[in-house]
Amino acid sequence: MNEDADNAPPHRASDAPMDLRSERESFLRSFIKRGAEITEELLGENDKLRGEVELLESENTRLRTQLASDDAMRDFIKRIDALESEKRRLLAATHELRVVSDSDASRYEEIESELNDLANLYIAAYQLHASFSIRRVLRHVQDMLGQLMGAYGFAIYIVEGDGKRAEVIAHEHLDLSTLEPIIVGDGILGTALLSGVAKIPDDIASGTVAEPFAILPLLVGDRVVGVISIVTMLEQKSHWATVDAELFKLIGEHAGSALIAANLYSSVDGPVAALYGVRENLNKRPPSVAPIAERD
Amino acid sequence: MADYSCLVVEDSPMMRQLLVFALARIKQLRVTEAEDGVDGLRKLADDRFDLIITDINMPIMDGLKLVQRIRVDDIHKDVPIIIITTEGSSEDRARAMALGANAYITKPIQAPQVIAQVKELLSI
Repeated sequence: MNEDADNAPPHRASDAPMDLRSERESFLRSFIKRGAEITEELLGENDKLRGEVELLESENTRLRTQLASDDAMRDFIKRIDALESEKRRLLAATHELRVVSDSDASRYEEIESELNDLANLYIAAYQLHASFSIRRVLRHVQDMLGQLMGAYGFAIYIVEGDGKRAEVIAHEHLDLSTLEPIIVGDGILGTALLSGVAKIPDDIASGTVAEPFAILPLLVGDRVVGVISIVTMLEQKSHWATVDAELFKLIGEHAGSALIAANLYSSVDGPVAALYGVRENLNKRPPSVAPIAERD
Repeated sequence: MADYSCLVVEDSPMMRQLLVFALARIKQLRVTEAEDGVDGLRKLADDRFDLIITDINMPIMDGLKLVQRIRVDDIHKDVPIIIITTEGSSEDRARAMALGANAYITKPIQAPQVIAQVKELLSI
């Protein structure tokens, strides 16, 4: 071994020949450059991965939200179903209530109408029998015909003492000179006096004095004591009311007896005198007159 | 005590009783009766009314004259008036309304119609 060489100080890079030093520096530059490139690549890869992670996290969040939203939607649909069911139940209940309400309203109107009819009948009967004045009784019969039923031109006839003819005792909106006495059995009015059968057409129309539109015999028991001839009705009276049939019946069966009572009362001196002989007459019954209640 | 007072002017006792019966269903209403226009004026002078119902055809003073008198009366000139009559023509109706009537009802009456009209005019 060369001692001089062994003892020589170690060579430094700067001591290296120029080509080696250049080569080494070139290598180092190349190495450092490559390291920088790898670092750049790694950093780029890292960024890329970071972006993908962010995307995945975003997707994850979206999916989680959707999942939550689906749950909310399911709850929402359940709630809608429940509300729909409640709505159907309420609609059915409302329908039932409406039916009941309509029925109640209809029944209320029916009751109102019945009450109105009963009031008419009650007041008519009350007024008819509340007076012993012939004029007032006649006035009440005229009011029943004109004000309650809507008759316009009419006449009231009463059978005279001999029973063969009837004379007019009251009339409205008819010329008195045209109201001839009625011969029992003659013509339409005379026939009604004989038969006691009323003629009340279903439809309202106009008639004449000779051919009245409606005829109502006045009965006391089974005896005809007079007749009402209705020639015309008020122009606004287009059809019969339910109560009119009952009013006809009331007049036909009660007007005669009310007139008889008023007429008998007018021939005595006050109520006490009118009661004279009641006890003696209590068990007597006129042979040709049966109480109305017994005729049926 | 009733909140409103009503005067019914009608010469037929039967119709008067019917109207009073019908109006009795309005609990807030006190009803006074008069037999004709003159009797009606007498009652109007004695009391204050919120509503007047009158017939047209009456003895002594008819309903239309009564309406005319009421419309120049200091106390009752603005009181609503209902005519209830057998006169059903449009001319009769127009005449009554022109004289100052507020409503016109023809006979034969239906109680619910009268009650509804009274309630409408009194806003009850």
